[in-house]
Amino acid sequence: MTEINDSILAVRGLKVDFSTPDGTVEAVKGIDLDVRSGETLAVVGESGSGKSQTMMGIMGLLAKNGRVVGSARYRGQELVGLAPKALNKVRGSKITMIFQEPMTSLDPLYTIGRQIAEPIVHHRNSTSKEARKRVLELLELVGIPEPARRIDSYPHELSGGQRQRVMIAMALANEPDILIADEPTTALDVTIQAQILELLKSLQKRFGMAIVLITHDLGIVKHFADRVAVMRRGEIVEEGTTAEIFERPKADYTRMLLAAEPSGRKAPPADHAPIILEGRNVAVDYSIPGGLFRGAASVFRAVDGVNLRLRQGQTIGIVGESGSGKSTLGRALLRLLPSSGHYRFGATDISGFDRGAMRPLRRELQLVFQDPYGSLSPRRTVGEIITEGLYVHEPDLGRAERDRRAIAALKEVGLDPASRNRYPHEFSGGQRQRIAIARAMILKPKVVILDEPTSALDRSVQGQVIELLRDLQQKHGLSYIFISHDLSVVKAMSDYVIVMKNGRIVEEGETDAIFEAPKETYTRTLIGAAFHV
Amino acid sequence: MIAFILRRLASAVPTLFIVVTISFFLMRFAPGGPFNLERPLPPSTMENLMRTYHLDQPLWRQYITYLSNAVTGDFGPSYIYHDNNVAQLIGKGLPYSMELGFYALVLAVVGGVVAGTIAALRQNSFLDFTIMSVATIGVTVPNFVVGPVLTLVFAIVLAWLPAGGWGDGSLRFLILPMIALALPQLAVFARLTRGSMIEALNTDHIRTARAYGLPPRAVVVTHAMRGALLPVVSYLAPCAAALLTGSAVVETIFTIPGVGRYFVLGAINRDYTLVMGTVILIAIFVIVFNLVVDILYGLLDPRVRHD
Repeated sequence: MTEINDSILAVRGLKVDFSTPDGTVEAVKGIDLDVRSGETLAVVGESGSGKSQTMMGIMGLLAKNGRVVGSARYRGQELVGLAPKALNKVRGSKITMIFQEPMTSLDPLYTIGRQIAEPIVHHRNSTSKEARKRVLELLELVGIPEPARRIDSYPHELSGGQRQRVMIAMALANEPDILIADEPTTALDVTIQAQILELLKSLQKRFGMAIVLITHDLGIVKHFADRVAVMRRGEIVEEGTTAEIFERPKADYTRMLLAAEPSGRKAPPADHAPIILEGRNVAVDYSIPGGLFRGAASVFRAVDGVNLRLRQGQTIGIVGESGSGKSTLGRALLRLLPSSGHYRFGATDISGFDRGAMRPLRRELQLVFQDPYGSLSPRRTVGEIITEGLYVHEPDLGRAERDRRAIAALKEVGLDPASRNRYPHEFSGGQRQRIAIARAMILKPKVVILDEPTSALDRSVQGQVIELLRDLQQKHGLSYIFISHDLSVVKAMSDYVIVMKNGRIVEEGETDAIFEAPKETYTRTLIGAAFHV
Repeated sequence: MIAFILRRLASAVPTLFIVVTISFFLMRFAPGGPFNLERPLPPSTMENLMRTYHLDQPLWRQYITYLSNAVTGDFGPSYIYHDNNVAQLIGKGLPYSMELGFYALVLAVVGGVVAGTIAALRQNSFLDFTIMSVATIGVTVPNFVVGPVLTLVFAIVLAWLPAGGWGDGSLRFLILPMIALALPQLAVFARLTRGSMIEALNTDHIRTARAYGLPPRAVVVTHAMRGALLPVVSYLAPCAAALLTGSAVVETIFTIPGVGRYFVLGAINRDYTLVMGTVILIAIFVIVFNLVVDILYGLLDPRVRHD
């Protein structure tokens, strides 16, 4: 590789490996990379590509069992193998970082003012009074309202977006040369994502630092980066300007990533398809309990007067940001939590049904969750997990018949039936979500509520899961309620879209109408943020 | 904050009432009585004793009488230690138990937190294994073994320290019982601290602190330690209550004139009132220290601050 003159961070032959009980795992396999002064370099890859570990290795932040070799020179100074004291002069001062989880990246026990001040005091030998003044400037700069009041807030008193702003303030405190942003917006709502990216862009214009953006989201890259390096399995498969990568991708993998945006549309349901699930005036209250000495209880209305009609074979997409009440609505429709309103399932009025009365209907009303890690019991085999519902709904089934159905269900979701004797941790995220889908499908349900089923998955895997869900729907005439904050996925899945905010429906309509001619400002903001228009 | 403390103190009243009620009836349903001696007393003497102490009355009346006396601070006479009533017995012994218990508590907390932190920072090293092995021994070896061994080594063989008694109350007399009392708790604190410290060192915000070039001391003491102390603080309440109200075993081995023995002796001798007195004492300590710990918790962790 030729030397690049204005390279301020030159990475050569960088390797990162981890020693595990199963042997050494190579996370980064000898990569070359240059960060030029003032540019934005995006390092793109799916989970496990080594994009984060590259930066962690350079910054000396690997887990205890991690090891980094090779070279990473920051303005001529070798960072790999540098003594901790000397490295600490660079970290937090010349090179700073922000992380994916603004929730956990800040210490919950100290005020944000104190946390932003810490690197200032440490690197600049400022007095705490000077540092506080600087913190106020920084909070103003990153757009925290009322900095003088907010400076003494604790992280839990701020929203996710504000916390990420605080992290950015901390990163800017010592006017760094390079800012490494590791999935800075992944944990945030789309509208907040756009704001944070805007903020980073404007701050870069003002202070001229280089930004290394680590992300899996190509949508962000297109509008934000000058150059792109695509990583896969610890290697860089392609590197070039953003225009080159998007217009003339050379590597198959890059092309695959670019094509992985969910595409296609769902076939519409029959014109006079019967209504299968209906909720009228659905309302859910969460009470914050009072007590003998604690004063009166208070009530929080999570879902407020929502009407919804699901036809057979139809998919209704429910979109909204976190806290909009979309998941709560899904659970209320399945009568899984106390709620008021009128509910019908087929011809049956299920408004007054209690647990016992609902039980026989449960097999026809299934739920698939977002987190394929948390929703599968780690101590049971896949076979046990997917056949569990059969024990409840068809207790008389013989062992052989249960096994036969397990095989059929696994085949149907595209998994090897032989894998039914293995445990969930042996599977990838996408495979686990297939297992969760098989668990619902084995009961031959009529309605499936899909609560963010693709949100924890890489884009390329997302596309496959969407395809699978659409095929299953077609084959069995299923009706879906598809809950997601991801509008591109909703577009590919739904016939009808409901936009929710603060427990109410803001706008609803046919998918095309919503995406092409949204009426409400809020819907337009959501769509704008999601598709970067 | 004051409202919070008042609320908690108010809720202590029903708690105490329930504790008193349960222990009163449990104690009475146990077979035997305070005057059932190895050589039975003549029936007439027995009858007189029962009448003197109102033990011939129906149980519910005795319960009412006990409750109404207890709220005025009268915990009744001891059936065994005839010269003193229960309040006097506890009043005399408690200062000894509390002083010894306080030193033991300080030793257990400081020693345990330091040992646990060192073990966590040197995770899986020889030092870590050594500290944790000693801690395991500390938890598993009962103090009726530790006490005599300490006496044998330091009081008899080496003759550095007195074997027992309160003496003039100087530190020399307190060192051995203090160690015997503190050791199991120290071991628990060390294990707790190690576990929560290892967890704290792996959190995202510690990674942030390191990514910002903060010196190791700031990372460990300011950021990791404060979070790691939370579970340790939770254990402080039951531990403080147990140590400050004395230990029957340690006080017997080292002949300390504290209250620790009364609970066991009272129970064995069916000295109803003495047992009730010690139960109430321990209950009050537990309630008070739980409150103290909750306040401490609020100071350490802004997320659970009580306004």
